[in-house]
Amino acid sequence: MSAYIEKRAMKENQLLARLPDAEKERLRPYLEPVLLEMKQGLLEEDEAIEYVWFPHDAVTSTVVSTPAGHTIEVGLMGVEGMVGLSLLLGEEKSNTTVFTQIPGHATRMRAGAFVKHVKSERGPLYDVLQRYVNSFMAMIAQAAACNSLHPVDERMCRWILLVHDRVGRNEFPITHEFLSYMLGVRRAGVSKVANELKMEGLIGYTRGEMTILDREGLEARSCECYEFIRKTSESHFR
Amino acid sequence: MQGNQLLANLPDKELKRIQPFMETVEVGFGQHLLEYDRPIDYVWFPDTCVTSTVVNSTDGSTIEVGLMGTEGMVGLSLALGVEVSSATVFAQIAGRATRMRAEHFRKQVLEEGGTLYKLLQRYTNFFMAMIAQTAACNTTHLIEERMCRWILMTHDRVRQDKFPLTHEFLALMLGLRRPSVSKAAGVLKREGLIDYTRGSVTVSDRGGLEARSCECYKIIQGQRSRIFEGVRAGQRCGNTHSDIHTPQSRNQ
Repeated sequence: MSAYIEKRAMKENQLLARLPDAEKERLRPYLEPVLLEMKQGLLEEDEAIEYVWFPHDAVTSTVVSTPAGHTIEVGLMGVEGMVGLSLLLGEEKSNTTVFTQIPGHATRMRAGAFVKHVKSERGPLYDVLQRYVNSFMAMIAQAAACNSLHPVDERMCRWILLVHDRVGRNEFPITHEFLSYMLGVRRAGVSKVANELKMEGLIGYTRGEMTILDREGLEARSCECYEFIRKTSESHFR
Repeated sequence: MQGNQLLANLPDKELKRIQPFMETVEVGFGQHLLEYDRPIDYVWFPDTCVTSTVVNSTDGSTIEVGLMGTEGMVGLSLALGVEVSSATVFAQIAGRATRMRAEHFRKQVLEEGGTLYKLLQRYTNFFMAMIAQTAACNTTHLIEERMCRWILMTHDRVRQDKFPLTHEFLALMLGLRRPSVSKAAGVLKREGLIDYTRGSVTVSDRGGLEARSCECYKIIQGQRSRIFEGVRAGQRCGNTHSDIHTPQSRNQ
């Protein structure tokens, strides 16, 4: 498991947790703890950004929707990230849609406060967020390649591992619908792959709850994209 | 006259300040400008060249995740405070570019935080959206549609109806086997949308290509125009090339 998993015992978003004390104090008045529900929308493509969000044990999904009605996940964020990067980069509107896929805790900050106290100040949080943009771009670039080149069963393993790293526990709720977004396949395709992985003893999956049974087995089964994304997802902390 | 749009939109004063640190060079086909996980030596502002950002798989397959022309800068990782490149970038269409050494870029652009810095932040936002759209496109859309999108995007940046392209190269960019590319190219040719001979492709029916493409083309194009919104420096040189083609402006 990745390095930041150990930090998870603190159950804190790592971008915030690793800030110098002075910076933490300065931003404290503007940070609000919240509980995110499954499927809760955080950002909508082409809509004004109201809040930025720092997940703790919640996991979010960044998706692209086509006019034909397909929804594809292109990235995910958790304890290592922040939802609302367009605001950091000087845009008021989001150019992606983001929703909560695994419910849990997060911290949010109003857009106005973020622009005033983080973006304009260019302090430690600003710097690590800039590097995080780089990490996230690398993640979606890898997803672009993976979605095209790798078979659906390997992609499912990759996705399960990335979620497992962020949620920090072996059981989590996940719907069939979400899995179809993650994999870009129809729901029947999801059942087929899920059953394969169940039969191989890698996961349990009943009634909307997924259980990680064999972590090492999943890593062996996944395409190399998991390892690549894992490394780049932590690179902004170095 | 500055061909790159990021540079062309700078206030006179800022452009004068950074000009001494910039060098115009010719970039050859296939020339690597950035290497994944290697230190960034230069940032590059394309003028007539067009670059591809690719991801390499350990089994040797590649796929393009984004491309850049005059609207962009190669080396965004540096602009984000990271010393090594997170992708491999090479020239798919040879041409001119302006380059700047990494240490000068850090001092003159990052530290100063002027208009170029702001434009680069916006451009980064756009490039992320382009990669995201490509990720979805690669999963969902048909080969012919993806091919139309790719040809259109390259056409916008190269600004000529005929440009060098082989089926092998296109197969690499789209992450396909060469026979699939040849087959799809044959379809588009029969439909009168493109023509091709060994080593080059000609856009025959721009409007037709736009109609045939998946919607990813329009979506990306729409976001591209936002990069320069509100940054009318008044310094836009007399460059009347519009890189933002409307269907009417580029008919055969």
